[in-house]
Amino acid sequence: MPTLIFPISRIEGHAQVVIDTHGDEVVSAHFQATEFRGFDYFVQGIPAEQMPVIVPRICGVCSTAHHVCSVKALESLYGVTPPPLARRIRELLLLGQLIQNQATSLFIFTMPDRMGTDSIFEPEVSASASRPGIAVQSLQVRKAGTDLISLAGGQFIHPVKAVVGGVTGGISNQATDEMRTKLNAILPVACELFDHYWQSSLEMAERIGTWGDDQPSHYIASTGKSCMNLDSDTICMLDENGKQVDCFSPAEFQQKLTFIESTYSYSDETLYKGEIMRANSLARINMSLRMGTPLADQYLDRFQTTFGKPAHAIMLFDLSRGIELVYALERAIEILSEPLDGEETSIPYTPRDGEGFGLVEAPRGPLIHHYSVENGLIKSAKFIIPTVHNMQAISRALKVAANRYVGNDQIDLELEKAVGRVVRAFDPCIACATH
Amino acid sequence: MSTSRFAVLQLSGCAGCEVSLLNASEWIDQYRLMYMPLVVSAYDVPDVDILLISGGVRTDQDLHHLRTAVKKAGKVVAVGTCAISGGVANLGDRDEVRDLFLSQSSRRHVPRLLPRCQPVDAVVDIDLYLPGCPPTSELFMAALFDPEGFQASRSVCQECGRLKDKSIRPDKLVGFQQGKVQEGLCLINQGYLCVGSSTRGGCRAPCTRAGHPCVGCRGPSDFFIEKESKEWLGSIQKVFETMTDIPRDEIAQALVSPQFALFLFQFSDYAGGNRPLRHKEKVL
Repeated sequence: MPTLIFPISRIEGHAQVVIDTHGDEVVSAHFQATEFRGFDYFVQGIPAEQMPVIVPRICGVCSTAHHVCSVKALESLYGVTPPPLARRIRELLLLGQLIQNQATSLFIFTMPDRMGTDSIFEPEVSASASRPGIAVQSLQVRKAGTDLISLAGGQFIHPVKAVVGGVTGGISNQATDEMRTKLNAILPVACELFDHYWQSSLEMAERIGTWGDDQPSHYIASTGKSCMNLDSDTICMLDENGKQVDCFSPAEFQQKLTFIESTYSYSDETLYKGEIMRANSLARINMSLRMGTPLADQYLDRFQTTFGKPAHAIMLFDLSRGIELVYALERAIEILSEPLDGEETSIPYTPRDGEGFGLVEAPRGPLIHHYSVENGLIKSAKFIIPTVHNMQAISRALKVAANRYVGNDQIDLELEKAVGRVVRAFDPCIACATH
Repeated sequence: MSTSRFAVLQLSGCAGCEVSLLNASEWIDQYRLMYMPLVVSAYDVPDVDILLISGGVRTDQDLHHLRTAVKKAGKVVAVGTCAISGGVANLGDRDEVRDLFLSQSSRRHVPRLLPRCQPVDAVVDIDLYLPGCPPTSELFMAALFDPEGFQASRSVCQECGRLKDKSIRPDKLVGFQQGKVQEGLCLINQGYLCVGSSTRGGCRAPCTRAGHPCVGCRGPSDFFIEKESKEWLGSIQKVFETMTDIPRDEIAQALVSPQFALFLFQFSDYAGGNRPLRHKEKVL
């Protein structure tokens, strides 16, 4: 029984795919997370107020989401509601995170699959006549997101400005004007890169004969039905027909989701009532009626006309990310058009012991932090990572891909590329998933 | 000019260092990135001029990759708190959580956890240390292009721009999660435990400018880097004695809490390990 092992690059963290075959039969396909640091354990005994600075270190790619989620968990514990201005500034943080992440996933992680190269930084790629300067432009779009996080969060990796009750300060009118100008300049660059990406994806789907087929699935997201809301308090489930079948608060996650500990991976896996589900961009796009900004809505219409709603093909996760990139840039420009230099950036609070739940929609799906605090110290902390909800879906999709390329007497070498494409479509974050 | 080749070896860390590197694009024309699993599909580190290593040595796989990779490299740079000290994962070596933590190592079919999270120089020789959690993009470019010529102030305090006011003397520490931060005024005057006065400069003080006290992620300034950590902690105490009426014990206790311990001990001993002495000439 041959075992095929594929280390996976161009994702966040350390992981590999292991496929067991027997003749032309694919016996199993597993996505294995191979790193572990142990945040659940070593945050025990830490003063609760230090969490918003320590837990962003779970992941340098997703640190903004952890930072805000941690603050929200403490706010739910202390019973504090931040003022509207602070919510605005935090939304900018989450939008910056979305811009940075979707640009990275689209142009740095998955674009090379469409160009048939190992990396966007290969000198031949930058010099290619079909798309000159793509590496530098991709980094520019990504940097617009990180600049936005720096403005709203102090620094773009492991930000510091969100605090219990609000944020440490507003943003001056001069700074909002400069950032708005910068984002207005980068928006057309992002759209043009996304158009190129869309076209390259069409060509690739034609070449390989699929958009990544797998059976329809449940979807989980916390962004709501109307316009995207990255800072909501409710998680919703769609069934495979796109019907909303459940909505619940982060405090209910243990009753709603089943957690499975596996022996082949440092990451847990989850099911919803025994069903495999999917989180991340496609879940949000399937849930949204509108994006709520003009250009993103045009892309959404084009997407839904072409692929239907709900859409299920694996590589549509990637296209959904492009729609969200455009949305996040447009939405940030909207927020930056209002004054953000007001006085009321935070409200006072009194720390107390108890349980708290934080929720944000991170780029990879709903992120929950659950803290129990005793004598001001963390007694237990759970981090419910969106990538974990995708683990079963990734393995199932890998099995479908493997079946396509494993034959009776030979294995099509396209399998290695297919494995990379499937995993990258889900954009898993292994540092987060294992923490 | 011929293109230099560099690689980034990612051990157990958060990828924040890599993300910081990607925030600069100056390297694209002058360096060829040969290996960095986050953004390049390549299975092994080939021969390179410079190898940047991020992350701590947490698993047997980390150890193997580290030993193999340095043989291919001209110059070896340890970047970020995890590579230099084990970083946040090192908090798992605190006595009170060690047993809990190691119970995880029973999982099969995955790389085995080593008994301790180790800094990379416990295993291999390092030519240059680049501290920061993560180091800023500017610091990454300096490490790649011109470590000797990099201009920075001695301490974060000198890069901060907030003004001290002798007439304001707080008598107790304010929690980090206190919302209101007064603009332009030194954070110590506002009662925050800020250690920027003796933390290594070069980051341009993004945290304190944004209203969050410096937690010391860049490690000690040159003056303290070759000394035991108690010298550094003593100097922080002195600053608070001069500027505040906060009791000494309160400061001492706060300085060894995890959020600070994580960074303040990165160049000296933490969790009982015997760290090699790092010469200041080797630290950017």
